[in-house]
Amino acid sequence: MLPATAAALAVLAALLAWPVPALLGRARWPRRDPLVALVCWQAIGLAGGLSIIGALLVHGLAPWGHSLPEAGWAVLRGHPAVDPVRGDHWVTLTLAAVLAAELLGVLALSWARTARTRRRHRELLELVVRPSPAAPDARLLEHPAPVAFCIPGARPLLVLSSGMVAELDDDQLAAVVAHERAHLAEHHHLYLLPFVAWEAALPVLPAAARAHAAVRELVEMRADDRALASLRGPDPRRTLAQAIVVAAGGAGGGVPSGALSVAGGALGARVLRLVDPPAPLPAAARAAALLCAGLLLLVPTVLLLLPAL
Amino acid sequence: MASLGDLERTVMDVLWAADGPVAAAELRDALADRELALTTVHTVLSRLEAKGFVEHDEARPRRFRPRATREQHAAELMHEVLGASADRQAVLARFVGGVDPEEARLLRALLDGTAPGAAR
Repeated sequence: MLPATAAALAVLAALLAWPVPALLGRARWPRRDPLVALVCWQAIGLAGGLSIIGALLVHGLAPWGHSLPEAGWAVLRGHPAVDPVRGDHWVTLTLAAVLAAELLGVLALSWARTARTRRRHRELLELVVRPSPAAPDARLLEHPAPVAFCIPGARPLLVLSSGMVAELDDDQLAAVVAHERAHLAEHHHLYLLPFVAWEAALPVLPAAARAHAAVRELVEMRADDRALASLRGPDPRRTLAQAIVVAAGGAGGGVPSGALSVAGGALGARVLRLVDPPAPLPAAARAAALLCAGLLLLVPTVLLLLPAL
Repeated sequence: MASLGDLERTVMDVLWAADGPVAAAELRDALADRELALTTVHTVLSRLEAKGFVEHDEARPRRFRPRATREQHAAELMHEVLGASADRQAVLARFVGGVDPEEARLLRALLDGTAPGAAR
């Protein structure tokens, strides 16, 4: 029997399902160091999945052995259970299988769907875009709305609309391109993928939506930071902030407002962070946050692998 | 050596510029400077047809025409990009998501409120 281990994992899962994401989502420090905060979110997502599936597995497999590896091995070898197998063991085993299959299935599905949409976009783009004079790796799309975006993947595409080029000056345009390049260079779409899956798999869990929104915001802030490092000019922070405001102000025309669901609050935080930068996180705080993220992954792993308490 | 994507774009440019449906042999002649084999032109055309960019009629020889104008394709793409809601941000990373006019005004006020000199 492994009651203590299963209980500990269940407590951890409950903490990661609500209070921990709520705390991190409300905290002020992530905007001071988006990269460290992104690492913490990834750890929360992974540890959450590990602990909830682990808790169910550990309880369900308890009759077969004194630790998860031992019990799992006994089941695989077809050994009979040491203790009597009750109904609740079967229920938790089924739940573990369903949850694991759903999470992995949704992850695979959203990967495939995203890849298909990207391929379609790329096919369309390759026909209608021209090389951009603004940047060698950017393409120009004839359209009045000021839009810039990139399509990640093996052959990434960075696209500027002619409306964007018309409304921004050269420095601002360079800032936009640097921001999108940062997304591509750091593969930010991969940071988002697990949270897209979590949200799709568990739409009833408010923390999933909260985590997804927080990660999206942090990825943008991280791209802003990386863009600033490569920009020249007297005041790159202000240049980038101006580009954001221009792009946000002009995109309203001709678009149904129902489709525009991106929170202006997040955009405001991005602009504010650029024009009035918060102090960077002290090295000790950074180390502490990273240590917490590491422990978050270590605790469920150890609980799963060690013999029962 | 031109890539297939490059050839596709060139063929589409010819089709878009043409007055009506164009046969493969006419396309080859229009792109004479590229010295394409007729089979290459057919390959490019069938790829474009599979992607839904061109269609052919039943005349002999078959003649091809674009299914939509360049502007329509650009508009279709922009419609998806501009409508990219939160869950679609995973498909492409857009510089700034759409905001309503009131939020845009607030952002502008935020930026003006921290004009250089006012801050620091």
